[in-house]
Amino acid sequence: MTTEATEATEVRAAAARVVAAVAGGESLDAALPREAARVVARDRALLAELCYGTLRWYPRLTAILDRLLARPLKSRDGDLRALLATALYQLEHTRIPPHAVVHETVAACRALAKPWATGLVNALLRNAQRRRPQLDAALAEDLAYRSAHPPWLARLLAADWPREAEAVMVANNARAPMTLRINQRRTDRAAYLELLAAAGIEARPATHSAAGILLGSPRAVAELPGFAAGLVSVQDEAAQLCAPLLAPGQRLLDACCAPGGKTGHLLELAPDGAELVAIDNSRQRLALVADNLDRLGLQARLLDADAGAPETWWDGTPFDRILLDAPCSATGVLRRHPDIKLLRRAGDIAKLAAAQRRLLLALWELLAPGGLLLYATCSVLCAENDAVVATLTAARADARPLPLPGIPGAATAAGRQWLPGTDDNDGFYYALLEKR
Amino acid sequence: MAILTILEFPDSRLRKVAEPVTEVDAALRNLATDMLETMYGAPGVGLAATQVNVHRRLVVIDVSDARDQPLVLINPEIAVLDDTPRDYDEGCLSVPGFYEKVARPERIRVQALDLDGNPFTLEPDGLLSICIQHEVDHLDGKLFVDYLSPLKRQRIRQKLAKLQRATA
Repeated sequence: MTTEATEATEVRAAAARVVAAVAGGESLDAALPREAARVVARDRALLAELCYGTLRWYPRLTAILDRLLARPLKSRDGDLRALLATALYQLEHTRIPPHAVVHETVAACRALAKPWATGLVNALLRNAQRRRPQLDAALAEDLAYRSAHPPWLARLLAADWPREAEAVMVANNARAPMTLRINQRRTDRAAYLELLAAAGIEARPATHSAAGILLGSPRAVAELPGFAAGLVSVQDEAAQLCAPLLAPGQRLLDACCAPGGKTGHLLELAPDGAELVAIDNSRQRLALVADNLDRLGLQARLLDADAGAPETWWDGTPFDRILLDAPCSATGVLRRHPDIKLLRRAGDIAKLAAAQRRLLLALWELLAPGGLLLYATCSVLCAENDAVVATLTAARADARPLPLPGIPGAATAAGRQWLPGTDDNDGFYYALLEKR
Repeated sequence: MAILTILEFPDSRLRKVAEPVTEVDAALRNLATDMLETMYGAPGVGLAATQVNVHRRLVVIDVSDARDQPLVLINPEIAVLDDTPRDYDEGCLSVPGFYEKVARPERIRVQALDLDGNPFTLEPDGLLSICIQHEVDHLDGKLFVDYLSPLKRQRIRQKLAKLQRATA
């Protein structure tokens, strides 16, 4: 037998375990499915909402929490800290009645085997409601509270984008739309919009990507007409602008391809007989690429290798098109991956930039004269974008950045930066380099 | 310790009548331990052996808030002391996600064996009384949805089938 109360409590406890795991360094993609398997199917949407929402506002919620706690919680009580953050999220950002939030959160202490904390949790949440105006005033100057970003990142954004930083952070805290890319080998946008309308799914064409469709509200992919048959893929509009910059190519390289969104797009746009080599250094993630391509009915040569060490995998034949969608801080996609606010550290940026420079310099040697290389990231930080490209253009006289007239956003020294949210898009950087 | 698979309505194995336990041995104690772990993990407040496809008269229960008062009943027998019915919102790990009011008598006497094979008697009330009746029903191949109108039962069956397809 079960009771409704045990289920409602279990969802809160599961959300606390997910948030605590992310605070401990695990990705949301790893932590959430593990806990989702432990709650009943109809509670999984609520679990995801609690986890995403809490992580999205985590810097602000913990700023409030630290003001309310008479003394810090012990490090072994990370689950309790996470539970309290999920409760503050519910009080502040959901329509769940406050008394229900307090009741379920107190009960969840027991589900987390911390019955001693029920008094503390009860008192703290009641204080949070009662002292709301004083808290707001006291925290008005607190950077983490104001921006809901880790302070180091808020400062970096303000330095790189003095005028836009505030708007960027607001966009980062918003929910992302679900955006589709139609497979032009199987359908066209008008026809697919009709299929969506027939299925009762609200949608509109994207502004900048000819293949893009924005859904009115997110759906499970299984509900999308023809998804399994490869009519569409899920991909943000900003990411959809990459592959067209490289079309048409005969011999293409997708250097960091997983999970394969752009790999599929490159092949959808490639002429018949074109050859694509797709590389990733994770065998597990390459399997995702293979699944994606199978679904779309496309083929590529998939290599489990380090793209930055071509001597280990390259056959010596140059490529005429290279996509380097480099591993990055993902600071342009915080709205889709709010766990990055907790996972990324200030010191990561220099390490990522060094890896990006290594990849770019190594792959440049594989490009045929007259060929094009697109350097792209979902970062909004100059250190990972223009600064990386500048290393190449300084070292190689044959590298010439091309203008990008079709790409929205701000022109930078070497490319363009589309900041998140200007058109309900992810943040993305593009630099198109021609080899002379 | 192990998490066991819980059968879901309308699985016909949930309709089997369980056999009395003839010997309280180590194997049975292991089964009870696994059933408790399965129940706590699910999470539920009670679980009958029938639900994990073992057709012997054994149920495990914990209705405490702190989840620290496990109760094991072997060969439970129920006598109704007062048949005034009381409504309670019941759910079931074999009918996940559905809650419906079921009327049952609240005042009962239960006789059973514990994990050492010793007989004991309980006169439970509240949720514990409801839960014991719910679990003993399982041992007789009966589910709480049997108390609902055919229309409601059919609706639950359809919704559940849809969920099972979606997660298969």
